Amino acid sequence: MKQARAVLWICLGVMFLLVTFCLYVPPVLAQQEIAIGVIYPITGGAASAGRELQNGASLAAEIANGVFADLAMDMAKEAGIKSMGGAKIKLIFKDHEGNPTLGADLAKKLILDDKVVGILGCYHSAVTKAVSAVCEQYGIPMINDSSTSPALTQQGYKWFWRTTPHDGTFTKDLFEFLKGLSEGKSKGVPPVPKDQLNTLAAACEKTEWGSAASALLEKYAKEYGYDLKKNILYTAKSADLSSEVRSLLAVKPDALLFASYTSDAILMVKTLKAEKAKPKLIWGQDAGFETPEFRTTLGEDIVGILTRTVFSPKLGQVKKISGQVNDLYKKKTGYDLSDASARGFTGVQTWVAILEKAGSTRPEAIQAAANAINIPGDQLVVPWKGIKFSTSGEELGQNIMGSGIIGQYQKNQAGEVVLEIVYPFELATSKLIYPFKGY
Amino acid sequence: MALDVLVSSLVAGVLIGTVLALVALGLTIIFGVMDIVNFAHGEFLMVGMYTGLLVAQGVGMEPLLTLPAAGAVGFLLGIVCYFGFVKFLLRGPMLAQLLGTFGLMLFLRNLALVFFGSEDRAIHHGILVGKSLALGMGVMIPATKLAAAILSVLAFICVWLFIHKTKTGKALQATAVNPQGARYVGIPTDKMNGLAWAIGGATVTIAGALLVNFWAVNPYVGLLFTMLAFTIVALGGFGSVPGAFVAGLIVGLITELPGIWDFISITLGWSWMSKVPMTSFKYTWVYLAYFIIMLISPKGLFGWKR
Repeated sequence: MKQARAVLWICLGVMFLLVTFCLYVPPVLAQQEIAIGVIYPITGGAASAGRELQNGASLAAEIANGVFADLAMDMAKEAGIKSMGGAKIKLIFKDHEGNPTLGADLAKKLILDDKVVGILGCYHSAVTKAVSAVCEQYGIPMINDSSTSPALTQQGYKWFWRTTPHDGTFTKDLFEFLKGLSEGKSKGVPPVPKDQLNTLAAACEKTEWGSAASALLEKYAKEYGYDLKKNILYTAKSADLSSEVRSLLAVKPDALLFASYTSDAILMVKTLKAEKAKPKLIWGQDAGFETPEFRTTLGEDIVGILTRTVFSPKLGQVKKISGQVNDLYKKKTGYDLSDASARGFTGVQTWVAILEKAGSTRPEAIQAAANAINIPGDQLVVPWKGIKFSTSGEELGQNIMGSGIIGQYQKNQAGEVVLEIVYPFELATSKLIYPFKGY
Repeated sequence: MALDVLVSSLVAGVLIGTVLALVALGLTIIFGVMDIVNFAHGEFLMVGMYTGLLVAQGVGMEPLLTLPAAGAVGFLLGIVCYFGFVKFLLRGPMLAQLLGTFGLMLFLRNLALVFFGSEDRAIHHGILVGKSLALGMGVMIPATKLAAAILSVLAFICVWLFIHKTKTGKALQATAVNPQGARYVGIPTDKMNGLAWAIGGATVTIAGALLVNFWAVNPYVGLLFTMLAFTIVALGGFGSVPGAFVAGLIVGLITELPGIWDFISITLGWSWMSKVPMTSFKYTWVYLAYFIIMLISPKGLFGWKR
């Protein structure tokens, strides 16, 4: 009888332990998938860039979830997040259509309904601003991979980190490039006297991003001693830009500077062509000037146009990992990696590294890991020194190791229009075409 | 002197003004005949733009040759809207008519969103796309805008001749002036109302097919043109065909005020003027003009129904 009672107690004890174990399984082991909400403009005026971002992010998730032995990248070596028992990354894509209100609503839905551990996005700075406010309110980490308004990391948010350099860096690059041009530093171009490249005219779209870009152009033009004679803000997604273009050309600018999303960038170049504009230099603040749609729609009309970017397929010549990932991307989509897709890729890669370091999906653990992360530059497809976020000072959460490049559309020997690197001068992959041939 | 800046702006204003006049023509005809304001007018234009775009891209046709297709679609759309919807609204009070065409506007816009999404679409290829004529002094005329302006004037003349020189046109005028009297003399006023909607639809969709050669289309594009058309019709006088043409030119020139401002700025050498964001407010001046016209002359330049 005593023996039977002992067996019963042992059975009850084992059952109790089993039930307890089942009820309290550490979140790490229970979780086979880690959901990250990704909010991009998949339709609307910037759809082309949104799809690029989506493709880049998807490829990074595919690499993180599988094993790609040939890639010299930490996240390619193990399937899933090793510190969380190989949990897989699941990206839940949402389309904000370039609308900040919709972006904020989608962020709430992702946090409350889909229970994502964090957010990635959103390309448009205005949408990123709205979404980052939602994340801050709910205490959910957000990585921003592709918005460049400097103000985003000056909000003092504790749940927001940005991998990409911002427009302050990019605009300074432009004026360093102009200065270098007058000093004869550019490959294949004799020194350009300052008075021959001094009058500037700019048109930027009138949302968070374009307005900040416009203010930075004003600031740096003054600092570097250039005459920014016209600095227009125009309504984003404009259907007609002819009066804006005529207004720019009225001041007879040596250089035209733009901050436009895809549909506006295409329309701007078409209008410049119709007006037979002949500036010596055209520079785009990335975004619309760097999307595949911009190239395929305008073809040879863009030869000679400059754009700031963070990626060029030509990087593969000097950085093995960039070439390898570019090959994978091209196999998957038929296109080379672009600025947008490279930044989407890097955004997910950063998420993977942070989760790996955190070893948990608890927001506080992710926050601590993000603040301590240090991804070396040799892990990245972009030409940055690495990813390390600022944790103090005016800019909280900004990657302090990022940098930009300036590319120029040129025709290669096969007759294709490709983006050659022309700045930094030491990384130049081709001679600069100067002056711009005009329309 | 920056005479090129001034001439460029004036030419651009006249060119876009003629197209805007054609956009407003349909609105003024419908109001002239039936005393009903069509809030869906801009959406008719959007339908014309999509028709031009889809036919040009789908069949690989020269964009300017899509005008007959756009006109036919607009003509049918006008007939369907009148006999299927507007005719029944006429039985109700004025407010029902206003809200009815407002509903039609929302319906067409959302239908376009379902079919085409919210993305901008534009024509990038065609004989005239990207081409320009040099007028000298550095003044350029984009070929697509010049062609659109010429064809708009032709369309305007055709409609004017139809209304004033044909028996049906005169019946239409009679219906506009006195529908009851027209009925007494045997004019089928119901059919005349339908014809007004058909002509209104056809002219605005043709204007849409002309515009899409140099203006991107999306489901929301109609709102801007509805507003501009209302301003033109108010300025010219509701129901006045010549009024719409003259007012279209005036509104076109008002949208080019930033260029005139630049001319003054450069001529006088006042750099502060170039810092004023005139282009950001280019349509504000149009609406300001609308407001002033309503205060000074509520019946517009040419009065109502001429």
